Amino acid sequence: MIAIKRSNQFYNFVSIAGVLLLWQLVVSAGLFGKLVPSPVAVFKEFIDMLQNPIGGRSLFMHLWFSIKRVLTAFITAVVTGVPLGLFMGWNKKVDAIVKPVFELLKPIPPIAWIPLAILWFGIGETPKVFICFVGSFVPCVVNSYTGMRYVDPLLIDMTKTFGATRRQQFIDVGLPASLTAVFAGLQNALSLGWMCVLAAELVGAREGVGYIITLGMDTANPAMIIVGMLIIGAVGAAIAVIVRRIERIVCPWKRGITS
Amino acid sequence: MKALQNFLRKNILSIISLVVFLIAWQIITVYEIVPRRMLVPPTEVVELFFDKLNNPDPDGATLLAHFKTSITLALSGFGLAMIIGVPLGLLMGWYQRFDNLVRPIFEVMRPIPPIAWIPLAILWFGIGLGAKSFIIWLSAFVPCVINSYTGIKLTDPVLVRVARIFGATDREIFFKIGIPSAVPMVFTGLRLSLNSAWMTLVAAELLAATEGLGYMIQMGRRLLRPDIIVLGMLTIGLVGAILAGVLGKIEQRITMGRRM
Repeated sequence: MIAIKRSNQFYNFVSIAGVLLLWQLVVSAGLFGKLVPSPVAVFKEFIDMLQNPIGGRSLFMHLWFSIKRVLTAFITAVVTGVPLGLFMGWNKKVDAIVKPVFELLKPIPPIAWIPLAILWFGIGETPKVFICFVGSFVPCVVNSYTGMRYVDPLLIDMTKTFGATRRQQFIDVGLPASLTAVFAGLQNALSLGWMCVLAAELVGAREGVGYIITLGMDTANPAMIIVGMLIIGAVGAAIAVIVRRIERIVCPWKRGITS
Repeated sequence: MKALQNFLRKNILSIISLVVFLIAWQIITVYEIVPRRMLVPPTEVVELFFDKLNNPDPDGATLLAHFKTSITLALSGFGLAMIIGVPLGLLMGWYQRFDNLVRPIFEVMRPIPPIAWIPLAILWFGIGLGAKSFIIWLSAFVPCVINSYTGIKLTDPVLVRVARIFGATDREIFFKIGIPSAVPMVFTGLRLSLNSAWMTLVAAELLAATEGLGYMIQMGRRLLRPDIIVLGMLTIGLVGAILAGVLGKIEQRITMGRRM
């Protein structure tokens, strides 16, 4: 087992090192001119970005701006979307009333809301948060809804037999049973929110990670873009890990399935 | 007639809800509770729809031309991603050595949203067709690979062993057992990737385009014409839904009789 693991690590190392080496060689040979920076140049740019402000703000401030936007939108979406989805799944009437309008708006990608958001809210923080909200809201609703719809009817019938009120059925059976689906939704919501903030910042912003890569484009500095992309990827991956951790704490019964 | 009555009875709440939604929209816009520069009544959106069918003003192309540009781009990017991504994913899942070599690179690239590639793509390929095709291809490529990979990894080892006992070659096992058992997952991947391609297309067209549905809504914003934006958004949503529906039908056809 350990031998297998070690050989895997070996392959991983060979693969990453191989790509970096190839990348460096190709760039040094001057095949792409200035368009593709070498890995060494990218690393230097990263160090430089850590030390010097980018467009008037430090790298961490930019990161904080983006994260703040996503979190504001995400929390709003969870607070509104999850209960809405749960009630839609629980109550047929709520479902019948909300669903048609929701289904009408759902297929519109959140990014397509950007122009309207700018028209409505100007170019400050609000349109960006709004876009992220639209992106996070849909998976929150959809997954809570599906989770609630797929609650084992046997469980509900059982509690009914034992005389549980409608309210108790909802809180003690429906809610915990749909929690794993809700969490899958939260995960999607956060990663979609992260993607939307990027899109919103690309279209127009003076701060945030999206601004960093736009600045890289405007100043024809591909190294800066690549550093920005890697940071965006790292944050995205970190978000996924954190949500998974929280999920394990909140719904421990799922541990056996995921691992 | 009977069927219609039944349909009405079953969906009465939904129909009322939709009608109320549209009427509310009409009222808040007609009486300018929401100013006209922000939102226009649904009736005007419908009017604009018929007008845009053969009127290229004011955003430079008819609705059909925008649609054609976008759909060609999305489908070609998606097709190319499918042709390259699905086999790559299948091979990664099947051959351990190949997997070991390709996966680390893939894992580094995967969490970067396709939209983050837009600036680099524009820098590399300019704002023409090249940049957009690249971005859309990339956005569709990742889910294709991941799902084909997971799908073939989940092949029941018992089936593989049975085939081996009966003397099947590795090649036969791959084509007759591995691939068929991966099909449902591959389709999930295709659905995700089509969805992702369509969404990324809009983003790419917002930033760099001279035609297409994304460009149309961007022009709507510049010209302060909310009706153009709303029409564009609805078209984008509708086309996305139709694409997903068509793919779902194909999936049903192919995976018929297979349990998920």
